[in-house]
Amino acid sequence: MSGQHAEKPVHQVRGVDHAAFPTFDPNATVRFYRDVLKFPVVHSICAAGWGPERHPDFIHFFFDIGQGDRLAFFYYFGWEPAGDQTAPGDAWARLPHATPDFFRNSRHIALHVDDEEDLLEYRRRLDESDWPVEMQVMHETIESIYTHDPNGYMLEITRALRPVTPQEDLDAQLTIEALCEVTAGQAPSMDKLLTRKAELIVEHAAGWERSHPGWREAEKEMV
Amino acid sequence: MTMPRFYVLEIPENEGVITVAARDPANTVDHLGPYWRITAASPIVIDRRAAGCRHAVWYSAVAALEGSVITQHDKDALRVEAR
Repeated sequence: MSGQHAEKPVHQVRGVDHAAFPTFDPNATVRFYRDVLKFPVVHSICAAGWGPERHPDFIHFFFDIGQGDRLAFFYYFGWEPAGDQTAPGDAWARLPHATPDFFRNSRHIALHVDDEEDLLEYRRRLDESDWPVEMQVMHETIESIYTHDPNGYMLEITRALRPVTPQEDLDAQLTIEALCEVTAGQAPSMDKLLTRKAELIVEHAAGWERSHPGWREAEKEMV
Repeated sequence: MTMPRFYVLEIPENEGVITVAARDPANTVDHLGPYWRITAASPIVIDRRAAGCRHAVWYSAVAALEGSVITQHDKDALRVEAR
């Protein structure tokens, strides 16, 4: 051994190994992911219980979602869904009847594709199935299609309209700094967040002048 | 008295907002870091249709507010006034 170690980056994770969800309908789940979307089944575990506690037998099965990442499901033999099954929600949990869609759909998974052609191919596959696309939306920098899978989980498939810029990453850092501050205080609001962000922008301006001279005010005067 | 002032991140999607802001001689548009900064002596009004932004861009265009408050941000206009 040389005794010399290359310096590892602080940020070492490499994407999603798997995201896992319960299902009470493995037939429809397999039809949706394997047969409609054509996601390969890549792994499964057949387990007779699990550990010392009372635990049902289960099947843990995985679909390839690209680049080695996987979407996984648990099917528990004899386990019944909880809650009012007519209420909004999914196989994991049900919400109160009056819960608006924006909140229900805030928890979702988004898979990305390379371009518009691929996005429209997934749109075609879904539209020919029992789970047609519910929305196609052009967001700020991505375009997405949405549907709910047979378990009620919202699935988004999205393409980037352009690469994210370093400026957007920087703006995100200021937003999150302001968000953490205003939500730690009383009555958080967008107004308070945007006001705090302006203070942070002014505080950082001198540093940006040094680190990013291309952003200098004098060079970009518009009027 | 403070003057209305707000910031818009400099990305291509926001150019419509800035073009409309810069067209009004009452507004001063300059830069601070990666942001456009819009300042005026009186309330700043950006017409939605003139800006031509799609929904998601329009409602996320304001990055920050300096001594100012948004008094309208809907399908017709964005209005920023001194606080």
